[in-house]
Amino acid sequence: MDILAGLIQTAFLAGGVLALAALGEVLAERVGVVNLGVEGLIALGAMSAVATVVGTGSPWLGLIVALLVGLGAGMVFATATVVVRANQVLCGLALTYIGTGMAATIGKPFSGSPVPATFEDIHIPLLSDLPFFGRAFFSHNLLVYIIFLALPLALHYMMFYTRHGLNMRAVGENPAAADAAGIPVMKMRFWYTSLGASLAAGAGAYLTLSFVPSWSEGVVAGRGWIAVALVIFAGFRPINAVLAGLLFGFVTALGFVGQARNWPVAASFLSMLPYLGTMALMIVPVITWQRMRRLMAAPEGITQPYYRDQR
Amino acid sequence: MSTIRLQRMPIAPAKVSFVLRIISVLLALLTTAIVLWATGRDPIALGGKVISSTFGSTFGLEDLSLLLSPLIYCGLAVAVALRIGAWNIGAEGQFNFGAFCAAGIALFVPGPTWLILILMMVAGAIGGALWILIPTLARAYADVSELITTLLMNFVAMLLVYWVATGPWLDPSGMALATTARLPVSVPPVWGIVHWGLPIGIILAFALALFFTYTRWGYEVRIAGANAGAASYAGMPVKTQLIGVMLLSGAIAGLGGMMEVAGTVGRLQGGISNNYGYIGIMVAVLARAAPLGVLATAFFMAVILNGGIILQSQGLTTHTVLAVTGLILLYAAIGDEAAHYKVLRTKTGES
Repeated sequence: MDILAGLIQTAFLAGGVLALAALGEVLAERVGVVNLGVEGLIALGAMSAVATVVGTGSPWLGLIVALLVGLGAGMVFATATVVVRANQVLCGLALTYIGTGMAATIGKPFSGSPVPATFEDIHIPLLSDLPFFGRAFFSHNLLVYIIFLALPLALHYMMFYTRHGLNMRAVGENPAAADAAGIPVMKMRFWYTSLGASLAAGAGAYLTLSFVPSWSEGVVAGRGWIAVALVIFAGFRPINAVLAGLLFGFVTALGFVGQARNWPVAASFLSMLPYLGTMALMIVPVITWQRMRRLMAAPEGITQPYYRDQR
Repeated sequence: MSTIRLQRMPIAPAKVSFVLRIISVLLALLTTAIVLWATGRDPIALGGKVISSTFGSTFGLEDLSLLLSPLIYCGLAVAVALRIGAWNIGAEGQFNFGAFCAAGIALFVPGPTWLILILMMVAGAIGGALWILIPTLARAYADVSELITTLLMNFVAMLLVYWVATGPWLDPSGMALATTARLPVSVPPVWGIVHWGLPIGIILAFALALFFTYTRWGYEVRIAGANAGAASYAGMPVKTQLIGVMLLSGAIAGLGGMMEVAGTVGRLQGGISNNYGYIGIMVAVLARAAPLGVLATAFFMAVILNGGIILQSQGLTTHTVLAVTGLILLYAAIGDEAAHYKVLRTKTGES
């Protein structure tokens, strides 16, 4: 029982990175832009957060700086893909390369050293004292509650219960019709893509300030790509995205426990689990549940640039 | 009075695209120079140093050729898949697994050198093809994006190579850490330390160019890549072609891995792919997926990569090159879109 509780606690901690990055990707893909730069954005956010904390000692300031850096990078990406309408796959790969390379170059001086300050855990009174699972669910830092509770619920409400959310989804499904209905297609695409990038960089800050607590070159380790894959698996829905993140946090936690308890499997194989698991999740549901394939389909206008004069 | 107006054309003229490609590369280098200058380094002196130490000595040219070989294989791998409209982002993984299979043959199969080398080439190619098999089948039969699945396999391959090199295949002599013993056979050299991997890669590029231009199969692949619906309506076996081309793509990357482990490095170790697979994407995109173009862009990227190694002494990391690569890719993507536009002058009141 203790093992399971520990697993769940680590799952929240490890899954938070994927969950937040996936939420950001949901925003971008819902307005029709695939951002393959998540990996680079996480690296940039992770590095700039650590740099800020080394300088100021405040993790919250680190998070804010990471969010702003992500917003800036996202605006560059959105300018290229939404305004200029360049190929989204190429621009996304470019963003991954630039982000990874820049983060490694700028972050070199403080690579490997522990972060001086991290987010503190909040023990919710009474609830965290519950037997077995109290600590697993109710004893995390504030960011965990924001990522797994506040943000997905707010985004879900916004996307599916407000006029603005309907407009946003319309932009991703059929930009020409949305444009005809008076929805500012370009503005929506630009800002939601940038905002999504900002969240991805925030996931990086979470990674280095709460989960790993240190910065090094390989710290992102493909989490950005897993997040992109999870969005597809989650059917482009914020709550599903967060749950998928949690599931993969659990898989990661399983690897940690395996290493700590000397399971007769090499650590490298345990580290493969998240990648192989993502592969399985991308392939198996598509084959087995035909109905889900339609229900969870991608927005119709995804990856397609919108030209008003060529409707 | 006349106004200037931009009009988008559905097809970009080849000449305009080519010129914009070159301009975007120059702009990316200029941006890099500005960043270097802003951080207190002298970009002109550094550039001069890169050029003189790359082209000014035999050592530099040999290093350049050693970098060129894996970039040609990875670039060709990505380019071949692009021809049919598939993104092979997993050349890195196929390269690693090809190297792994080839090293396995060299370490554990006894026999005459020439036979072992041929077996290693076959094993490397088959290994690379195997590594892309699942993403290929998933794309062909379940329409799962190969872009992400091929990429995820990279991490698995790198962990696998790291594991064998530090565990079961670790050098028993204890002389080296985190690597296998020196392979008993190696690809013979053609010039100095440059081995046969490079000429074979160049021959492969020419063979692929001929294949795409002059064979029916190559023609059908091009059609299927341009418009899968039309190709399938015309009775071409699009699915079979997709599978065949993607497996070929993996095999080329795997062969590149074999050449690297048996020619350049001589041992299997973690990180043997050194981002070649990712830079290969860049090589293929810049070459517009043309096999002969790959030779030119691979050479260009080899110079950049070699420059990065030289600049390491200036407080930059090897990853800095990745950022420069990304910058070129970003400008190239923008340039591609810009090539579609034509500037029109119209007299006001007329239109």
